[in-house]
Amino acid sequence: MDGATADRTLVDSRGSSCPGPITDLAMAYRRAKVGDVIELWATDLGVKADVRAWAAKTGNEIVSMEDRENVIVTVLRIVKR
Amino acid sequence: MQVQSNGGTTGKMSIIMFSGTADKFIPLGVVSQAAAAMGMQVNIFVTGFALLGFTKKPHDLPFPAEFANMAPALAKGMQANRVGAWDTMLVQAKELGAKVYACSMMASVMGLVKADFNDLVDDVVGAAAFLQASENGQTLFI
Repeated sequence: MDGATADRTLVDSRGSSCPGPITDLAMAYRRAKVGDVIELWATDLGVKADVRAWAAKTGNEIVSMEDRENVIVTVLRIVKR
Repeated sequence: MQVQSNGGTTGKMSIIMFSGTADKFIPLGVVSQAAAAMGMQVNIFVTGFALLGFTKKPHDLPFPAEFANMAPALAKGMQANRVGAWDTMLVQAKELGAKVYACSMMASVMGLVKADFNDLVDDVVGAAAFLQASENGQTLFI
Protein backbone atom coordinates (compact mmCIF):
# COMPACT_ATOMS: atom_id res chain seq x y z
CA MET A 1 0.00 0.00 0.00
CA ASP A 2 3.07 2.25 -0.20
CA GLY A 3 2.34 5.62 -1.70
CA ALA A 4 -1.40 4.95 -1.80
CA THR A 5 -3.63 7.84 -0.89
CA ALA A 6 -5.91 7.71 2.13
CA ASP A 7 -9.42 6.51 1.43
CA ARG A 8 -12.64 7.45 3.12
CA THR A 9 -15.21 4.69 3.49
CA LEU A 10 -18.83 5.09 4.51
CA VAL A 11 -20.20 2.15 6.47
CA ASP A 12 -23.98 2.29 6.73
CA SER A 13 -25.14 0.09 9.63
CA ARG A 14 -28.43 1.83 10.19
CA GLY A 15 -31.09 -0.61 11.38
CA SER A 16 -28.52 -3.24 12.33
CA SER A 17 -28.53 -4.40 15.96
CA CYS A 18 -25.52 -5.09 18.15
CA PRO A 19 -23.07 -6.59 17.27
CA GLY A 20 -23.85 -5.66 13.65
CA PRO A 21 -22.33 -2.16 13.57
CA ILE A 22 -18.95 -3.09 15.07
CA THR A 23 -18.85 -6.14 12.81
CA ASP A 24 -19.44 -3.93 9.79
CA LEU A 25 -16.72 -1.65 11.15
CA ALA A 26 -14.35 -4.60 11.61
CA MET A 27 -15.02 -5.74 8.04
CA ALA A 28 -14.21 -2.25 6.72
CA TYR A 29 -11.12 -2.16 8.96
CA ARG A 30 -9.88 -5.38 7.36
CA ARG A 31 -9.89 -3.68 3.97
CA ALA A 32 -8.47 -0.38 5.24
CA LYS A 33 -4.90 0.82 5.45
CA VAL A 34 -3.18 3.19 7.86
CA GLY A 35 -4.35 6.74 7.26
CA ASP A 36 -7.77 5.75 5.95
CA VAL A 37 -10.92 7.23 7.43
CA ILE A 38 -14.05 5.20 8.14
CA GLU A 39 -17.37 6.89 8.74
CA LEU A 40 -19.88 4.68 10.53
CA TRP A 41 -23.61 5.37 10.50
CA ALA A 42 -25.57 3.43 13.10
CA THR A 43 -28.81 3.46 15.02
CA ASP A 44 -28.13 0.76 17.64
CA LEU A 45 -28.27 2.40 21.07
CA GLY A 46 -25.08 0.67 22.22
CA VAL A 47 -22.97 1.87 19.34
CA LYS A 48 -21.21 4.76 21.08
CA ALA A 49 -19.85 2.62 23.91
CA ASP A 50 -19.12 -0.22 21.50
CA VAL A 51 -17.16 1.89 19.03
CA ARG A 52 -15.16 3.48 21.86
CA ALA A 53 -14.32 -0.01 23.11
CA TRP A 54 -13.46 -1.18 19.60
CA ALA A 55 -11.17 1.79 19.01
CA ALA A 56 -9.43 1.30 22.36
CA LYS A 57 -9.02 -2.42 21.73
CA THR A 58 -7.69 -2.13 18.20
CA GLY A 59 -5.65 1.04 18.86
CA ASN A 60 -7.46 3.26 16.39
CA GLU A 61 -8.65 6.83 16.68
CA ILE A 62 -12.10 8.34 16.98
CA VAL A 63 -12.09 11.67 15.19
CA SER A 64 -15.68 12.56 16.02
CA MET A 65 -18.89 11.06 17.28
CA GLU A 66 -22.17 12.86 16.98
CA ASP A 67 -25.90 12.37 17.24
CA ARG A 68 -27.64 13.52 14.12
CA GLU A 69 -31.28 13.16 13.36
CA ASN A 70 -32.02 9.41 13.64
CA VAL A 71 -28.38 8.42 13.21
CA ILE A 72 -25.19 8.29 15.26
CA VAL A 73 -22.22 9.20 13.09
CA THR A 74 -18.71 8.20 14.13
CA VAL A 75 -15.63 9.10 12.14
CA LEU A 76 -12.58 6.94 12.79
CA ARG A 77 -9.02 7.24 11.57
CA ILE A 78 -7.11 4.02 11.08
CA VAL A 79 -3.72 4.48 12.71
CA LYS A 80 -2.97 0.85 13.44
CA ARG A 81 -3.17 -2.28 11.36
CA MET B 1 -5.17 -29.17 12.38
CA GLN B 2 -3.43 -27.32 15.16
CA VAL B 3 -5.53 -25.39 17.65
CA GLN B 4 -4.55 -21.75 17.40
CA SER B 5 -2.81 -20.13 20.34
CA ASN B 6 -1.24 -16.87 19.26
CA GLY B 7 -1.56 -14.96 22.55
CA GLY B 8 -2.16 -11.89 20.39
CA THR B 9 -2.11 -8.38 21.75
CA THR B 10 -5.82 -7.79 21.43
CA GLY B 11 -6.75 -10.66 23.70
CA LYS B 12 -8.59 -13.89 23.58
CA MET B 13 -12.16 -15.02 24.20
CA SER B 14 -12.87 -18.69 24.68
CA ILE B 15 -16.33 -20.15 25.10
CA ILE B 16 -17.33 -23.58 26.34
CA MET B 17 -20.73 -24.08 24.70
CA PHE B 18 -22.50 -26.80 26.64
CA SER B 19 -26.21 -25.96 26.70
CA GLY B 20 -28.45 -27.38 24.03
CA THR B 21 -31.42 -25.04 24.29
CA ALA B 22 -32.13 -22.43 21.63
CA ASP B 23 -31.97 -19.44 24.01
CA LYS B 24 -28.35 -20.12 24.97
CA PHE B 25 -27.24 -20.02 21.34
CA ILE B 26 -28.12 -16.31 21.14
CA PRO B 27 -25.36 -15.14 23.54
CA LEU B 28 -23.00 -17.61 21.85
CA GLY B 29 -23.56 -15.84 18.54
CA VAL B 30 -23.49 -12.30 19.93
CA VAL B 31 -20.38 -12.65 22.09
CA SER B 32 -18.47 -14.60 19.44
CA GLN B 33 -19.25 -12.09 16.72
CA ALA B 34 -18.52 -9.08 18.94
CA ALA B 35 -15.24 -10.52 20.22
CA ALA B 36 -14.11 -11.39 16.70
CA ALA B 37 -15.01 -7.87 15.56
CA MET B 38 -12.87 -6.51 18.42
CA GLY B 39 -9.93 -8.35 16.93
CA MET B 40 -9.87 -10.94 19.68
CA GLN B 41 -8.89 -14.52 19.05
CA VAL B 42 -12.10 -16.51 19.51
CA ASN B 43 -12.13 -20.22 20.38
CA ILE B 44 -15.43 -22.02 20.80
CA PHE B 45 -15.42 -25.48 22.33
CA VAL B 46 -18.72 -27.23 21.70
CA THR B 47 -19.66 -30.04 24.03
CA GLY B 48 -22.66 -31.73 25.62
CA PHE B 49 -26.08 -31.14 24.13
CA ALA B 50 -24.80 -28.10 22.25
CA LEU B 51 -23.22 -30.51 19.73
CA LEU B 52 -26.72 -31.05 18.34
CA GLY B 53 -26.63 -27.50 16.98
CA PHE B 54 -23.56 -28.31 14.88
CA THR B 55 -24.53 -31.48 13.05
CA LYS B 56 -25.17 -31.76 9.31
CA LYS B 57 -28.44 -33.46 10.14
CA PRO B 58 -30.39 -30.54 11.63
CA HIS B 59 -31.86 -30.86 15.11
CA ASP B 60 -34.62 -28.64 16.34
CA LEU B 61 -33.11 -26.96 19.40
CA PRO B 62 -35.74 -26.84 22.15
CA PHE B 63 -36.59 -23.76 24.18
CA PRO B 64 -36.44 -24.19 27.98
CA ALA B 65 -39.93 -25.14 29.16
CA GLU B 66 -40.26 -22.15 31.53
CA PHE B 67 -39.77 -19.69 28.67
CA ALA B 68 -41.39 -21.66 25.85
CA ASN B 69 -44.49 -19.44 25.77
CA MET B 70 -42.25 -16.39 25.20
CA ALA B 71 -40.40 -17.95 22.27
CA PRO B 72 -42.70 -16.68 19.50
CA ALA B 73 -42.58 -13.08 20.82
CA LEU B 74 -38.81 -13.28 21.15
CA ALA B 75 -38.44 -14.55 17.59
CA LYS B 76 -40.70 -11.75 16.35
CA GLY B 77 -38.78 -9.10 18.31
CA MET B 78 -35.46 -10.37 17.02
CA GLN B 79 -36.72 -10.28 13.47
CA ALA B 80 -38.10 -6.75 13.90
CA ASN B 81 -34.73 -5.61 15.26
CA ARG B 82 -32.87 -7.45 12.51
CA VAL B 83 -30.94 -9.58 14.97
CA GLY B 84 -29.34 -12.39 12.99
CA ALA B 85 -29.79 -16.07 13.69
CA TRP B 86 -27.10 -17.50 15.98
CA ASP B 87 -25.49 -19.49 13.19
CA THR B 88 -25.39 -16.44 10.92
CA MET B 89 -23.57 -14.62 13.74
CA LEU B 90 -21.11 -17.52 14.02
CA VAL B 91 -20.46 -17.42 10.28
CA GLN B 92 -19.63 -13.70 10.67
CA ALA B 93 -17.39 -14.47 13.65
CA LYS B 94 -15.62 -17.18 11.68
CA GLU B 95 -15.10 -14.81 8.77
CA LEU B 96 -13.23 -12.64 11.28
CA GLY B 97 -11.15 -15.58 12.46
CA ALA B 98 -13.17 -17.40 15.13
CA LYS B 99 -12.57 -21.13 15.45
CA VAL B 100 -15.08 -23.79 16.47
CA TYR B 101 -13.97 -27.09 17.97
CA ALA B 102 -16.19 -30.04 18.81
CA CYS B 103 -15.42 -32.03 21.95
CA SER B 104 -14.07 -35.44 20.97
CA MET B 105 -15.30 -37.21 24.09
CA MET B 106 -18.92 -36.01 23.92
CA ALA B 107 -18.93 -36.58 20.16
CA SER B 108 -17.99 -40.23 20.78
CA VAL B 109 -20.58 -40.54 23.53
CA MET B 110 -23.26 -39.26 21.14
CA GLY B 111 -22.02 -41.50 18.33
CA LEU B 112 -20.87 -38.57 16.18
CA VAL B 113 -17.77 -38.56 13.98
CA LYS B 114 -16.11 -35.58 12.31
CA ALA B 115 -18.09 -36.12 9.09
CA ASP B 116 -21.35 -35.70 11.04
CA PHE B 117 -20.57 -32.06 11.87
CA ASN B 118 -21.44 -29.14 9.64
CA ASP B 119 -19.09 -26.53 8.16
CA LEU B 120 -19.11 -24.39 11.30
CA VAL B 121 -16.89 -26.96 13.02
CA ASP B 122 -13.18 -26.58 12.28
CA ASP B 123 -11.99 -29.67 14.10
CA VAL B 124 -12.75 -32.27 16.74
CA VAL B 125 -10.37 -31.90 19.68
CA GLY B 126 -9.92 -32.95 23.29
CA ALA B 127 -10.15 -30.88 26.46
CA ALA B 128 -6.39 -30.46 26.75
CA ALA B 129 -6.18 -28.84 23.31
CA PHE B 130 -8.95 -26.41 24.24
CA LEU B 131 -7.32 -25.56 27.59
CA GLN B 132 -4.08 -24.83 25.80
CA ALA B 133 -5.85 -22.64 23.25
CA SER B 134 -7.75 -20.73 25.94
CA GLU B 135 -4.80 -20.25 28.30
CA ASN B 136 -4.28 -16.69 29.57
CA GLY B 137 -7.54 -15.44 28.10
CA GLN B 138 -11.13 -15.10 29.21
CA THR B 139 -13.31 -18.20 29.16
CA LEU B 140 -17.11 -18.28 29.30
CA PHE B 141 -19.24 -21.32 30.04
CA ILE B 142 -22.63 -21.20 28.36
